Amino acid sequence: MPLDKSIRRVLVIGSGPVVIGQAAEFDYSGSQACLALREEGITTILLNPNPASIQTDREIADRIYLEPVLPDMIEEIIRKEKVDSILASVGGQTALNSVIMLRKLGIIQRNGVRILGTPVDSIELAEDRRLFHDLMDRIGEPVARSVTLDAKNYRKRAGEIDFYPVIIRSSFSLGGSGGNIAKDSAELIATCSGFFSSHPSETMELEKSLAGMNELEYEVIRDSMDSCITVCNMENVDPMGVHTGESIVVTPAQTLSDREHNMLRDSALRVVRKLGIVGACNIQFALDRTNGSYYVVEVNPRTSRSSALASKASGFPIARISAKIAAGYTLAEIRNPVTKDTYAAFEPAMDYVTVKIPRWPFDKFHVDRTIGVQMKSIGEVMGIGRTLEEAFMKAVASLENDLSRNIRLGVTDARLMELLSRPSDLRLHAVFEALFRNHDIDTLSSLTGYERYFLIKLSNIVREVEKIEIGRMPSNLAELKSLGVSDAIISSITRLREVDITRARIEAGLIPSFRIIDTCAGEFRSETPYFYSTYGETGDMIRESDRKKVLIIGAGPNRIAQGIEFDYCSVKAVRALRKSGFTAIMINSNPETVSTDFDVSDRLFFEPVTLEHVSNVVAIEKPYGVMVQFSGQTGQNIAGPIAEIFGENIILGTSPSQIDRAENRTEFSRILGETGFRQPEYTSIYNLEDALGKTPSIGLPAIVRSSFVIGGRSMEIIYDMDELLERVREIFSLSPSNPAIISRYLEDATEIDVDFVSDGKETVICGIMEHIEEAGTHSGDATMILPASLSPEIMTEIKRMTVLLAKEFHIVGIANLQIAVRNSEVFVIELNTRASRTVPIISKATGTDWIEYAVGLIMKTGKIGADSTPIPDGYFVKVPVFPFDRFADLDILLGPEMRSTGEGVGVGKTVEEAIVKAFTLTSRKLSVPTAVLFTVDDRLKNAALPLASFLASEGVKIYATPGTHAFLRDNGIDSSILYKLEDVRKPLISDAIRSGEISTVVNIPGPGAIREGFEIRRIALAGGVLVLTNLRLATAYFRSVMGTTRLVPREIQEYQP
Amino acid sequence: MTGYTEILTDPSYRGEIMVFSSPTIANYRWSEEAMESGSIQVSGAVTRDSHSVLRGGYSLDEILKKYDVPGIDLVDTRTLILKIRESGVMRGVISDSPDVPDAFMDTMEKSLVSEVVSQEVTRTGDGSRPTCLLIDTGAKRSLVRKMSQVADLIIVPYNMDPAKYYGESDFVFLPNGPGDPAHESLSGLRRYISTIAGEKPLIGVCLGHQIISLASGCRTYKMKYGHRGSNHAVTDGRRTWISSHNHGYAVSADSLHDSTLSMAQWDINDGTVEMVRNEDQMILATQYHPEGAPGSHDLYWFFDLVRKIVEDSVASR
Repeated sequence: MPLDKSIRRVLVIGSGPVVIGQAAEFDYSGSQACLALREEGITTILLNPNPASIQTDREIADRIYLEPVLPDMIEEIIRKEKVDSILASVGGQTALNSVIMLRKLGIIQRNGVRILGTPVDSIELAEDRRLFHDLMDRIGEPVARSVTLDAKNYRKRAGEIDFYPVIIRSSFSLGGSGGNIAKDSAELIATCSGFFSSHPSETMELEKSLAGMNELEYEVIRDSMDSCITVCNMENVDPMGVHTGESIVVTPAQTLSDREHNMLRDSALRVVRKLGIVGACNIQFALDRTNGSYYVVEVNPRTSRSSALASKASGFPIARISAKIAAGYTLAEIRNPVTKDTYAAFEPAMDYVTVKIPRWPFDKFHVDRTIGVQMKSIGEVMGIGRTLEEAFMKAVASLENDLSRNIRLGVTDARLMELLSRPSDLRLHAVFEALFRNHDIDTLSSLTGYERYFLIKLSNIVREVEKIEIGRMPSNLAELKSLGVSDAIISSITRLREVDITRARIEAGLIPSFRIIDTCAGEFRSETPYFYSTYGETGDMIRESDRKKVLIIGAGPNRIAQGIEFDYCSVKAVRALRKSGFTAIMINSNPETVSTDFDVSDRLFFEPVTLEHVSNVVAIEKPYGVMVQFSGQTGQNIAGPIAEIFGENIILGTSPSQIDRAENRTEFSRILGETGFRQPEYTSIYNLEDALGKTPSIGLPAIVRSSFVIGGRSMEIIYDMDELLERVREIFSLSPSNPAIISRYLEDATEIDVDFVSDGKETVICGIMEHIEEAGTHSGDATMILPASLSPEIMTEIKRMTVLLAKEFHIVGIANLQIAVRNSEVFVIELNTRASRTVPIISKATGTDWIEYAVGLIMKTGKIGADSTPIPDGYFVKVPVFPFDRFADLDILLGPEMRSTGEGVGVGKTVEEAIVKAFTLTSRKLSVPTAVLFTVDDRLKNAALPLASFLASEGVKIYATPGTHAFLRDNGIDSSILYKLEDVRKPLISDAIRSGEISTVVNIPGPGAIREGFEIRRIALAGGVLVLTNLRLATAYFRSVMGTTRLVPREIQEYQP
Repeated sequence: MTGYTEILTDPSYRGEIMVFSSPTIANYRWSEEAMESGSIQVSGAVTRDSHSVLRGGYSLDEILKKYDVPGIDLVDTRTLILKIRESGVMRGVISDSPDVPDAFMDTMEKSLVSEVVSQEVTRTGDGSRPTCLLIDTGAKRSLVRKMSQVADLIIVPYNMDPAKYYGESDFVFLPNGPGDPAHESLSGLRRYISTIAGEKPLIGVCLGHQIISLASGCRTYKMKYGHRGSNHAVTDGRRTWISSHNHGYAVSADSLHDSTLSMAQWDINDGTVEMVRNEDQMILATQYHPEGAPGSHDLYWFFDLVRKIVEDSVASR
């Protein structure tokens, strides 16, 4: 069937802010889907409150709503935009849940819109565990058996169960909080009797445990004519029991026989046909190798993280094809955009192997590092190679953390055994370490559940790496490279500088060749310039370009402090370059993103974003230059070494030596001092004695920082000397040869983010964002408002400083300045010589493509225009979203480390409207507050008084902990006492929160006393209650939410200048 | 990726050197059960990375040695494949000596079918189902297994007079096999098929499809590099199926006009004839392998269709 001409205006629902389990992959699939529909002349109306996404860029969708994904918002947009159809399959769980809700509320029916692709009934069948299992039973597909127990029947039924081991979950356990395993009826009865004695009226769910079986996934596409293909299969290296998002995943499956493969493929097609999927879906299996049987685990009836991975691994653009199917086409009618001469109806053949490794935030979050059924990772990398070894090691190199440089783990044998048997982010390295220590493959296989095949492959790597000697270039360098062993690892073992190894290797001509990912293993000619490197082969031909070539560094894996905002920046840079007639070459290792869509750049190199792999591309492509300012810290970190190999001129825009001047904090402070910029008082220290001697002259509270950015670690406000010394010791242990800086913390200052573009002489400010929280909250975790509400004098001063600094540091392109304002004084805090995470939101708010502007200045194809900063016709409030629900042991209080995984935006014609919209993104239940719990540290009680009296005057019931209660009473404000958890008196805070009496918690801990109130915050969070820990933010929130009655969705242009 | 056992033992590959496009091969154990004939049939195997896994009696190296077939590993197979794609299928030699003969015979000129067919007549079944005369040209075991679920089989080698068994059969089946369908050694079979067409259901797969087409007035041709692999889509104009292909020759679509057959399915990309039919004459044949092995089972319904054609024919007699 060809295009359905009755589809004219389609609402595409996006996935919103990036959270764990729902990240950049939906920016990728959502963008692809929008473009696929637009190609058909369909108007796309996009709803997505994620300002950092590419999807919400004017180039992707026709109409853009940065509004909350809420039913009444959607209905209003449907009416306003005369929407005839909704595409919900490319916006993750958020979009699926919202169409289910829309139908429940009758919004679909009364507005006469239809859902494109998979019908809502099918979505519900796939999503409801009970319904799904019943359906599987009916068609004879095996699923894990399950049973419900209650206090009366559990003893009897425990004996009847014949499918041990089982996983036991209580009916009210919080999402994914695990579950116990019982191996037999005795264990089951023991667990149950403990549980039922305290919860006699609850029930327990038992399910056959599939833990330890092999986990396989299939990506299936079905069209409306019932034709089906499986795009590819994926094999999890970690067996069942580890969430697929947490597993190392190999594509295509490596250890399946043809019989196993087709048994699972047949099952996948039966299930998908029975469900009635139209478009893409993902199906997971557990394979029991002991008897050759399998279980259907689940179906995701939409594009997913796995489908993004499958698309990048196979070259087959799943989201694009599934959007075309949603628009009416069949597989046989859609061209394969990779070969262009063949059709989408085929199954890709891969003549390479890919390995995906998750990227966990454990470098930032000091929490339990074990992994399991719940997702904790926030990003992933993919390595591609001709052999599994090469793919594995390229994935390891892509991680951009300590694990990517150090293949050895310095642990005791006992600790090693523990790391092998309990899944964690360190398990792969534990396997390497065990192989170095000559543990045998069979034992390792039974400890880890890894297939022997994978272990043999990993041991091939180890056997070669152990030949490396300290202090000299390895004699087996060619062998090491063909196994994918990175220059960084060779550097860490030989203790030679990485840059020297890379340079020597390139000079010796040991450079990889590049292969095309063509979806067909060479069967058909493919023009698609999607490459990966491999050693020891001839390589595919890379076409010469008659235009100037520019290499853009991608941002690598999503991680805390480096998310999709930098993918936005690098993709926009690519587009700008292509528009001005350059050949834009992208290098990146992140399979989730838009930047690794082969359609985005002129050439895509799917490679680790490291000195080594960037240098290889530079050596082969010989580009005119390399752009390092659009990829966050990744590009900044390798700019220097690249310049060392290829010369300073290879880096386009702000030069490596200027980057270095700005990044070296000691140097930066010195320059500021010399050039007369106001900055907080500071001193450089070289050792602990220095810290002791010099701190009194600065005074406390103070901020201690190393002179170089260490893993994006930001400032920590320190209130006492002991803490200060501890921090100093920590900094010197990480970088002993560099000085550290102690500077005065500006209390009660307002922090400002300034993004600007410059050609080195003239400068234009893109936007100025004001933090709601006082200076001290990590800028990635702060809630910010655009435009800022600063006085004209201060604005003038900020502009003056920006222009002068841009000149001083010869900024060419885009950069970011962080400033603190106290009273009428303006202090410089930090200069980032790169695009910052606020660039996407500022670009959208001002309706100006600042990245394109910056690229024009760098390439001298554009000029600085009028020096006027566009001011939006409305307010943009950027809010962070946090992963606290995933980490029970993580405090929600904001600290020195950035915690947020992503951001959302609330946009309004008034500040209040914008703030309320923003808060709908971060709070599960948001309504006008009726009862608020106050618990405020003594030192801040006075400051909290205006807020409490405001709420009291609005008729909000106030609860307070005893101290706060007494203080409020003394100041004439009524409140009811609630006691802390350990108190013997009643009523308790926990009870009031669980009963739903309290709608919001205001918990303001004192400076430095961050450990107080942890329990209160966790309980509130578990109860879905909004917790505010910052007084300024709390005040802004309550003042907004009490005064706003109706939220209006508006197209983004209505807010732009 | 999967199916190396099936591929190496498929009689249709007789006389060919197999270059695997998947770089990692023989990652899982060789299985006697998955063999498509009694031994390895290819003349040689070329791989990128089959050396570094599964030692101890299960490596590809050991398997190839057992059947005395040469193999060569660590080859830049993609480059070789691109060369074959651009220049077409070519003759090749695997040698450990630099002195390679300048001229050697094209194996396609040999009577390959005779090398793979057993000279015994075999019967399956208990007489409860229709009887199929399977004229063997190198049938894969899995194809024979699938057919034996449809009918009781009398398996007769192609070079033995089939007329002797024709009388007791309800239909005739021509399976896969190696080489050129127009080869001189198969002329007797082609002539015989042309004499019986229309009398009883006539079913073919792969080489069988080509022989039936030739016998019905079509022409065949040698393809540049053929269709290999289990990821090819065939279509009837409405729906598509993923099918398993292994053919270096094909039936000329133009020549169908001069024949009694019509095209029922074709390859979605290059339009190659993939299924021919003549409903009146009860002829049905596919170029692809409906039995998969290796490859998809999407076209298992072919065997249901065969069953129906045969049942209808038996009922109408």
